[in-house]
Amino acid sequence: MLSAILWTPLVFGLISLLVPRRFAAWAAGAGTVVTLILATIVAIGFDPSGGLQYVVDVTWIPGLGINYSLGIDGISVFLVLLTAIAWVPAVAFTASRGTDRAGLFYFMLLVGQTATLGAFLAQDLLLFVLFFDLMIVPFYFLFGIWGSDRDGVTASSATVKMIVFTLIGSLLMLVGAVAVGVISADGGQLTFNMADLAEAGLPSGSQNWIFWFFAAAFLLKMPAFPLLGWMPDAYRVAPLPALAVFSAVLSKVGAYGFLRVVLPIMPDATELFQTTMLIIALASIIYGSVMAFTKLDLRLILGFSSVAQLGFITLGIFALDSTGANGALLQMINHGLVVVPAFLIVALIAERTGSEEIGPMGGLAKNAPVFAVIFLIVTMATLAIPGSANFIGEFYILNGVFNTDVAIAIIASSGVALAAFYALRMFQRTMHNPLPEGADSREISLRDGLMIVPIVLIMIVLAFCPQIILGDTADSVDATVAISKEAAQ
Amino acid sequence: MNAASWGWLVLLFPLLGSVLIGATFRVLPARTAGLIGIGAIVAAFVCGIAAVVSLQGEPAESRHVTDSLWQYASVGGLSIDLGIYVDPLSLFMVLVVTGVSSLIHIYSYSYMKSDAGYHRFFSYLNFFVFSMLLLVLAGNYVLLIVGWAFVGFASYALISFWYRRETATRAGMKAFVINVVGDIGLVLAAILIFRELGVIDYGAVFEKAPEVFTTTNEWTAVAICLLLLVGAFAKSAQMPFHTWLADAMEGPTPVSSLIHAATMVTAGVYLVGRSYPLFELAPAAADVAAIVGLVTLLVAGTIAIVVTDLKRIIAYSTMSQIGYMFVAVGIGAYSAGFFHLMTHAFFKALLFMAAGSVIAAMANIQNIDRMKGFYRAMPFTAAMLIIGALALSGFPGTSGWFSKDEIIDFASFRGGWYEIFAIGGYIGAFMTAIYSFRIIFRILPGPPCEEAAHLIETGHVVHGEPVNPATGEKEDVEVGYPGEDHHIAEQATGMKIGMSVLGFLALVGGLVQIPGVTEVITHFLEPTFEDSPLAAMHPSVSEAWKGLAKGAVISVVGIAFTWWLYIGRPSVPETLRRTFRPVYTLFVNKWYGDQIIDFLIVRPVKGLGRFADRVFEPFVINGLTGGTIAIVRSAGGAVRDLQSGMLRSYALLMAVGTVAILLYLLIRSL
Repeated sequence: MLSAILWTPLVFGLISLLVPRRFAAWAAGAGTVVTLILATIVAIGFDPSGGLQYVVDVTWIPGLGINYSLGIDGISVFLVLLTAIAWVPAVAFTASRGTDRAGLFYFMLLVGQTATLGAFLAQDLLLFVLFFDLMIVPFYFLFGIWGSDRDGVTASSATVKMIVFTLIGSLLMLVGAVAVGVISADGGQLTFNMADLAEAGLPSGSQNWIFWFFAAAFLLKMPAFPLLGWMPDAYRVAPLPALAVFSAVLSKVGAYGFLRVVLPIMPDATELFQTTMLIIALASIIYGSVMAFTKLDLRLILGFSSVAQLGFITLGIFALDSTGANGALLQMINHGLVVVPAFLIVALIAERTGSEEIGPMGGLAKNAPVFAVIFLIVTMATLAIPGSANFIGEFYILNGVFNTDVAIAIIASSGVALAAFYALRMFQRTMHNPLPEGADSREISLRDGLMIVPIVLIMIVLAFCPQIILGDTADSVDATVAISKEAAQ
Repeated sequence: MNAASWGWLVLLFPLLGSVLIGATFRVLPARTAGLIGIGAIVAAFVCGIAAVVSLQGEPAESRHVTDSLWQYASVGGLSIDLGIYVDPLSLFMVLVVTGVSSLIHIYSYSYMKSDAGYHRFFSYLNFFVFSMLLLVLAGNYVLLIVGWAFVGFASYALISFWYRRETATRAGMKAFVINVVGDIGLVLAAILIFRELGVIDYGAVFEKAPEVFTTTNEWTAVAICLLLLVGAFAKSAQMPFHTWLADAMEGPTPVSSLIHAATMVTAGVYLVGRSYPLFELAPAAADVAAIVGLVTLLVAGTIAIVVTDLKRIIAYSTMSQIGYMFVAVGIGAYSAGFFHLMTHAFFKALLFMAAGSVIAAMANIQNIDRMKGFYRAMPFTAAMLIIGALALSGFPGTSGWFSKDEIIDFASFRGGWYEIFAIGGYIGAFMTAIYSFRIIFRILPGPPCEEAAHLIETGHVVHGEPVNPATGEKEDVEVGYPGEDHHIAEQATGMKIGMSVLGFLALVGGLVQIPGVTEVITHFLEPTFEDSPLAAMHPSVSEAWKGLAKGAVISVVGIAFTWWLYIGRPSVPETLRRTFRPVYTLFVNKWYGDQIIDFLIVRPVKGLGRFADRVFEPFVINGLTGGTIAIVRSAGGAVRDLQSGMLRSYALLMAVGTVAILLYLLIRSL
């Protein structure tokens, strides 16, 4: 079953590369829909107290102890579902606008989906590393080939920046992963099975340096302060549908990596570097928030707001507390669900005004009340208004951090106030105030509505009952957190 | 059906109304939308009464019911139910909110008649009522925060209702952000409550609090209460979080009447009253509430005396009156505080409605310097304004007289340093009389101004070009702003109904709580405050009447003094203004509250943002990036000889690196 989910996008991606041009979008769309159906079936059949499920475990490279090993548990189940959901509107949006070299575009996009799903499903450390590295390659092409030069940043220079950073992170992580396997094996049979590695336990001294190899890769991917140099340029040039999934899902793989790899396999180091990580997270929140507060480009406002949100998520994970980590996981889902519609809305705004700068904008709500309401709901979820599932995520994160370090929790909460400002400003400067000349206040079309509204509806349902997610994740997350807690004692 | 079921219905109707109107705005005729809006709130009011009846059937000690729909979220022992808590206090608030809201909806039905955003208005207004009811009915602190924030959102949406006005959108933003700061206070309070007590539901919290906080003023208890107060002050526009309220007057007048006078801004008072078991364990925090209330009531009073914008005068008077309520709940005069909350809702909503009527007749001009002679032009509105002003200034027999003086009496009854609240309260009462009757004496008598004369001659209000009263700019009426036929003033039935009922209540509403005679409010709220030693204390009936007599004298003297100032000797105010120029400047600039916040908070954050954007990012972050790239480039230089292109070198480097590392580790492990 998990293999089917994993390879479906790739297969349909190949089909869309090979079929005649006018069918390419249909093939890609079918691929995302099939993936979504499969992922939904898995999520529905998921047993909250059942540990690792739907396990696939086949020996791949016996000499090196690498297995093709997949599985799903409370930590990954909704992230897989999120991945399946996010790609549908991204493909649909591109299809509705058309693109040059369509077959290749969809192929890249779907390779990206397979790689991302692989990262979430892999239970073998080297398999995880492989998918993690593979993930960035299609986006390198998507941003580089289909991206547009903006604000003096060329698509090629932006992607070079991005790939260099990723290269460093990937190499470090690869070294780390190999080291984990080799050191754990201690001369015996090599294995990269994550559960076995966690069981075996690394010597604390090794944990301490390997921790940073992984942390660097994950923090780069999010990105977190101060490793976010590649982010603004990449966000500037990227085609919006691809950026939507990139920002919604790929950034979460970094945070997921902490929960999946770092906490269970390096519990002593996690404990040791907890405060450092909390401070990095805090710095991301503050830096992301004040930058989002300052920027006028919609993409960058959303990009830096992601930095701040990922900061919150990291904060929750490294609170090493049940409420904090569960809140962080909930927030990963929430943030992913918010970001996809947000970037598509940016695309719609750009179509209406010819710009992505909020400076000269305004008044778009005039003839477009439905569009304005959709954007308003997304905005309110972005700023985590109490009553949204995002608020519950933040509330649990803050609660977890509060139990760990009161001062950090209080400083972090200032990020909430800044979020209120920059998110609302984004809404207000586009939708309210007088409509400038040349801007077209057009209602959202039914077709575009169908891409965005379902995700908004999911957000509303989760707002009424975030327990839908928390109920399924709690057991796995608590088990992971418990490992570090034991290490602390 | 028990009280809790009625409580759910109270919540259901306004939410349904809001969603229904919002979802069908394209097809629903405007009037129908208005009627649905009114119907939803009236239905909620009726259910509220049913809940009271059902609850009063219980013995006093079991007059609190909890009920939960489903588990909202539960992780790591922190379990949050979607539950409500129905007791006399929450039902009291429900009745005040739905009662006044019903009347204001009826008023709006007429007032907003020609507004292009009629559906939107009623959808928002119903949503606001839903949020406010959620706030008062919530059964735990987290759900309280949800209602709290929804109310803030509804307030934002309605302040910037005329969203083409930049002044309105800016005011909305300010209100929202300040309220979010308050929300954060509540969030931290809830977290701290959970950490200390391990529970989050009201009933459990109040039960456990005395077991955990065994000595008074334990610092955690004080911290919890102070954090709650941050939320309360922000929502109730108390200092130093008060600056948003006057700007909130950018919203349509019914909004000012309902949200920024009668209901939402009193939420902070409700919160303190609701959490009284915590505040009584942390009397230091309760004192802070009372002192901030006192300072606000005095400062706001001084501002109300000097500003000239009709709606802003009333807004500052709202701040000042809420200051009284904070004094009340801070010193333990709970029933007096909630009594004042109720009477204030009546007369303040009335004053705003009447002011809306005048402003409509003035073609949207809000400056009282321009208004004259409305006594003849609009006798009905004039009568309502006078009733409102009498009740506000505590004229003997009116509702405000009974409620305000009950607070002051309790302060002098507690004695000791609490006397300052009585003294401050009397000074505030004197200022209240001045600013209330300043409105009356400046706009009602005298030769009619141009607009009033037009109304007298033609029977119709002036159809001036719509302008933004704040900037004088011409309004874009196409969307979201009333067209020319908007100005219906007091002729409209809906407005007359709303005003006359509230006028009646403002006059006689105090009779429910005559010392020694009725005391309905005290008895009704008794079960909620049964554990409070403070609530059990009362000044004697004779003391209460003595206090009422003092209040009567101050009010009458204040009104007479105002008459002398503005009618008897109209030159005096100008002389005073010139003589005390620095004081006047301080008052008219609202004690520089905006500037102080701007200097202390807005500028530093903007500065930090600029620093991050212009210095930190280019030099540090990009330096880091550029440096890394340079290193990799030079390292990749050798590789590039073999293959060109960045991606190839990437792949190659990765492959070579991987193999090398794998080999090294394998060899080492052998």
